[in-house]
Order: sequence, then C-alpha cells, then structure tokens
Amino acid sequence: MRLTTITLVSAILITSPVYSDVPYTALLADENNGADWLSYSGGYKSERFSPLNQITPLNVDQLKVMWAYQMQATGISGAGLQESTPVVAGDVMYLTESPSSVTALDTRTGRMLWHFVPDISNEVLNIGFPRINRGVALLDDKVYVATLDARLFALDANTGAVRWQTTVADNSLGFSLTLAPLALDGKIIVGVSGAEAGVRAFIDAYDADSGEQIWRTYTVPAPGEPGSETWQGDDWQTGGGSTWLTGSFDPELDLLYWTTGNPAPDWNGDLRPGDNLFTCSVLALDPDTGEMRWHFQYTPHDTHDWDANQIPVLVDGEFQGRERKLLALANRNAFYYLLDRETGEYLLGEEYSYQTWAEGIDDSGRPIVIPGSDPTREGNLVWPSLQGATNWFSPSYNPNTEQFFVANRRMGAIYFKADVEYRPGQPFLGGGEQALDGDQASGAVLALDGMTGAQQWEFELQTPPWSGVMATGGGLVFGSSNEGQFFALDASDGSPLWNFNTGAHIRTNPMGFAVDDNQRVAIIGGQTLFVFGLE
Amino acid sequence: MCIPLLTQSDSSSLKRRKRGKFDLWISLCLLGIWAAPAQAQNLESGEQLYRTLCARCHGMLGEGGEGPSLKRAQLLHAPDDDSLVSVIVGGIPGTGMPGSRQLRGGDGVDVAAYVRSLGQLPPETMPGDPNAGERIYRNEGNCASCHILDGEGTGIGPELSQVGQRRNLAYLRRALTDPAAEQPRLVDRYRGSLNAFLTVRIVSEYGSFEGMRVNEDAFSVQMRDLAGTIYSFDKADLISYEKALGHSLMPGYAATLSTQQVDDVVSYLMSLR
Repeated sequence: MRLTTITLVSAILITSPVYSDVPYTALLADENNGADWLSYSGGYKSERFSPLNQITPLNVDQLKVMWAYQMQATGISGAGLQESTPVVAGDVMYLTESPSSVTALDTRTGRMLWHFVPDISNEVLNIGFPRINRGVALLDDKVYVATLDARLFALDANTGAVRWQTTVADNSLGFSLTLAPLALDGKIIVGVSGAEAGVRAFIDAYDADSGEQIWRTYTVPAPGEPGSETWQGDDWQTGGGSTWLTGSFDPELDLLYWTTGNPAPDWNGDLRPGDNLFTCSVLALDPDTGEMRWHFQYTPHDTHDWDANQIPVLVDGEFQGRERKLLALANRNAFYYLLDRETGEYLLGEEYSYQTWAEGIDDSGRPIVIPGSDPTREGNLVWPSLQGATNWFSPSYNPNTEQFFVANRRMGAIYFKADVEYRPGQPFLGGGEQALDGDQASGAVLALDGMTGAQQWEFELQTPPWSGVMATGGGLVFGSSNEGQFFALDASDGSPLWNFNTGAHIRTNPMGFAVDDNQRVAIIGGQTLFVFGLE
Repeated sequence: MCIPLLTQSDSSSLKRRKRGKFDLWISLCLLGIWAAPAQAQNLESGEQLYRTLCARCHGMLGEGGEGPSLKRAQLLHAPDDDSLVSVIVGGIPGTGMPGSRQLRGGDGVDVAAYVRSLGQLPPETMPGDPNAGERIYRNEGNCASCHILDGEGTGIGPELSQVGQRRNLAYLRRALTDPAAEQPRLVDRYRGSLNAFLTVRIVSEYGSFEGMRVNEDAFSVQMRDLAGTIYSFDKADLISYEKALGHSLMPGYAATLSTQQVDDVVSYLMSLR
C-alpha cells in the first residue's frame, strides 16, 4: 500500500510541472484561453477578463486557499511593495518580486522552480515611485523582465538563466522600468518612468531573440517634429511624458496602443507653456516602425500629475447604432473615454468620479477646464488627488455584458506650485500635494456601461484602492482593498458574495487560470501570493 | 476627563517656515532636546528638499498623508539623528518609504534637521499652576477614568504621557473646553489624516451601540464603547451605521471647571514632557 502511494507521487513529480513555449499565435488567442494567462492584462485587448465559469455566484462562498507563496525578499530593499500580476503558461506561473526579481512556480503546488535576481545597485534611482515591478512578458521560450535600473532581460523560461540583457536608458538621469513588457511577434515593447526627474520619455521595441533595439518613439517631440508647436524653447528636453504602463495591441489593425504620463515639471505649468504633446495621451503606433498613426490627448497641459498611464481596453461593440472598434479608458482625471481605435476619433467622455477641475469634455474631446483649478503657491483644493480617480491598477471588461469595471479612488488634494530648476537625476516637480482630510476619502468598485460610461452599480470601499479588478465568465468581479480583503462581487448588481482577509494591504491585480481544468484566481496580499479554487 | 490629542497648528508651522535657522536653533537648545549636530545643518535647504522629496507622502507641513505624521518628538524608525539620515537616504525596506539616494553631500543632514524641527514645539508660558492642575486631573476632573498617563488610568481616550511635547497651550485649552471643535487625528496609510476617535452609532439585531471606531474595512467595523468593551460587526448585518464626524464622546469642561481651573489643568498637561 505504501509503495503504491510513493509510486503515484513520483509519477506526478515526474510529469509536472510542464513548461510550455508561448508562440505569438498563443498570445493572439490569449483572451479566449481560460487555462493560461499569458500576458499582463490577459490578452492583447487588455480586458483582464477570465472566461472560466466554474466559480459562480452560487458557489463562490466555497472558495479556499489552494496554496500560498511567500516572497523571497531578495535583492535590494528586501521585501518591498508587491504590484506584480502573475502570468501562467502551461503548468508554470511567472511573477516578479520587487524590485525586479522573477520567480517561476509550479501552478499545482506553488513550489518554486527557479528565482532570478538581477544585480541592481542599492544606489539605483527611483524618483517619484516605489521600488516595484508589475510583471513579465512571455514569448516562445523566454521570459522578459524590465528592471528598476532601466535594463531589459531575456531569461530562459525553463531555468531562469539570462539569454540576453540590454540597457534601455540611463538610470542616473532618473529613467527606470517598472512595467510588464509587451511581447508582439518577435518584438518586446517597453516604456519608461522618469517624468518626476525631468526625462524625455519614449517607447522602445527590441528584437525578442537578440535584444537589439528596433525602434524608439519619443513621447515629447523635438523642434520641427509634429507636436513641437505645443512646447516653447528647450522645455521639450525635460518634458516628461513617461510610458510606464503596459499597452494594448490590435493585430487586425496592426496598431499598438500606449499611454503616456504627465509633463514635467509636474505642478508648475508656468515653466512649460502649451498643450505639451504628447503627454497625458494615448498613442497609436505602427508596431514595426514605431511611427505614430494617431494620438489623443486626454489632459492638455496637465498640472495635477494626472498621467494617462491607465490600461487602454480594446472593445468591439455597437456605439450609437454603429459597430465600431473602440478604445475604452477610465482616466486618472475622473472621465471615462471612448475613442475610435482605428482613427483616434473622440467619441465619448463621461465623468465617472467626483471632480472639480472640468465642466465636462467638449465635442473634440478637450476638457472644459474650470478657471482657477491649477496649483497655486498658497495651495488649491482640487478633486481628484494627484493619484487620480483611478491609477495604474487594471480595470476589467466583460465582452459578453459590455460592462467596464474600475477600481475608483475618491480623494481630494491641495496642490501647491513652486519654483524648480532642472538638475540631472534630481526631482523635477515644481510643487507638492497635500491630501485632503482622510475622513472625506473613500473608494469603490464601479460597474460602467462600456458603451455609455453610465454607472450601473458601485461597491464602496473603506479607503481609495491601489488594486485592480477582474471579471469572470462565471458572473463575478474580483477585487481587493487596502485593508487586505480579496473579494468577489456579483457582476450583475455589485453585491458582495465572498471575501478573504489576506492580512496585508493589496496593491496589485487579480488574475485567473486553471489547474487540471479547475479554475483558479490569484492575488498578492502583502508579501504573499494566494491562489484560490473550489477543488 | 478626556483630552483629545490635537495636531499642531498650521499657523505655528507657517511661522516656523519664516523663522531663521538661528532662532529655531536657540529655541531647540532652550528646550534641551536638540543634541549638538555632527554636521552643520541648513534648515532652509532641508525644508526645500523636504517639500520636494517628502511632502508628497508626509504632508507639506509634516502632518502626514500616505506616510505617517512627522510632527512627533520620537520617530519610530529613527530614534537618533544618524538613523534619521539613514532612513531618509536609504528608505525603510518593506514599507512605502523609498530612499532618496540622489541626495548629495549634507543634503540628508539638512532634511533630517528639518524633519526633527517639525516634531518640536517652542516653549510657552504656563497660564496656571500645574500642581493645582494635577490635583484637578486626579480628583474632580476624573481624567484617569478615560486616559492613561504614565501607566495609570483607563485607555478610552488618548494616552497623555508626554502630551506637553506634542500639543500647545491653545489646543490643550480648546481640547478641555470644546473637544468636538478639533477631533484627535491619526494617519492612515491610505487615507491620510483621520479622526482617531470617531464616534460611531450602530444599530443591529442585538441592540444600539455607541462608541469609538477602533477599525473598519469594507465588510466590518470594530468599536469600543465607554465601558471599554470592543465589539465587531459585519456591515451586512447592520440595521444602521452612523459616523458622527463632528461629535466627541469627551465631555467639555467649560461648564464644570472655572477658567482658572482649566488653566491649571492645561499647565499640568504642558508640563508632561
């Protein structure tokens, strides 16, 4: 009897886990592949939607922890904030640990397969953001991770060994990489942080096999280039426009969509007159050349640090009686936007969260700014706070119900303006921000009609969240709170059906996959990854 | 008697910003709480760097935000000046506190000096007799029924040990006479400055409850009543839930103590350093 048991266990160990190659064709089908989760947002459309339907409103209260994984606290700064979304290919999960380490786990047991720690100096600069990383990209037999010191690594997916590495930018100037790269056909796309240090940001494409740079597209134009008329003098050289969040891709239109952040300096707009293109925008790029096909600027001449670095969700649906290919984005500036993603045409801008800076959006998509809403030297109260009505954490879109779910921050702030001079590798902010009385702050998970932006329901949170949401084919929306709860809402009305206290703040996105045809959902709370399932 | 812990006034901080390095130094030396620095400090430079690097999380006036308040004499991770510089430059692993390794030369010392200055109050003249105030505190004020001081008393309201280091005369007087005017604060990592002793009123199938919020999340709330009993409720089960933002459970003493008695108690509290 005992011998039989050992034999059985041995057989499992021999056959599992199974490493899987991730060809480009698999990435194209990622949205419909419930068993895997091959890229940061669960597919090129960035829906963060798990089609699996084993877990439903009727049985979600039976969810239990299948396994947990404690972060390794390796590398500089030890156990920092964890903002990674794991990805799963076959029987292997890959996640990053702050600041830029990568771990491969057996999805069945949670046991570690390998752990990669890049050699990052403790002197690395991270100006304006914590020492975090949001995840990896998978393509063929490699795992790609971007690092805090502005490098890009290709790792062997089976062992974690370094296949190649390249320096994307100079960290001593304030450049840094915290995003999950995006893998296209033979290319790896990355963006940079650094506007708070006055960098001139860009989007890069690298050859997936060799690490050679294929193209670079700057988000702030040089004199004579399109958009340069929106800058004066040499302001463009320190203009910001960071590209620190993963974009989306439409293989049929062959367009890459990437969002951009604030102009620099953040709060003193006097130092950079003009609209400051292409900051606070979404860009549609030719993935082969990086050429800009169109752009849309959500917040011209931003003075509140309202980056447009939110996830651009690609949505197909009937808008005002016509089938269209749309790009939906819940912006940090408190408006929900729909664009025609083929042309960049502005279609809709609806306020989804309380704000005091704009009367609305005009027919061209330009905000109608309320006079006096800029930062002042004495301080000026404006909603939302600099962290915005939402932020980097992901929304979710259910294509079956056309519902757009977003984690919403509700907080005001007093914005200050100050003088500042550019110094390389130093903060270049031009002011500050003081959050309003916390008793007036809260948060929510919102369900919006994806085609109109109208709110369908809200689930109130105690504090403004730092974690994203994921809808599922079973009719659920998973979300998290700063207080540590991982919870499931009924997607039809927002009623809470289940919650689990992870015991630590949650600052990342949920994701879903399957093990032996059994649905799993995963979240990181504090320093621990939890994987839940029914059986 | 209950004394809310009040935040230092914005006006005093604004005055501090205009104050020169020299006279702040004099004030700190008079207080006997500022050790001779190993390196020369430039408070104005420290303030400028603070506003750029630190204010985003700790507040423009050090009152806290996403990061904790720095308006306190003792900082949890920085018991001495060297460790404060280390925290500023190197950060605190495992927390949201990043290092500012771009600081050069004596910049870290300057920022540390400014941060230390945020937690110190200038000396003020006592308006009454602290010995008489102590007698009132222990007798007719019955303050120990709600406050712990030097290990004695009941912990319904905030602890008052060393309250004189943190609160000035005007606020202590207002705390005694009109406690609802300015509620005690705490800094929540995710919401900034919060009412630390928020009065909540809860009705459930088990009855009606009034007390102070101990903790709360999207699904539950914990409260402590005036008997010190802690209750935990699931929000889904509540019949009603009220947050009384402008209310304090501490009684005002304007009607029960004379002006002189209030000044005496204030003086006693000021002496607690």
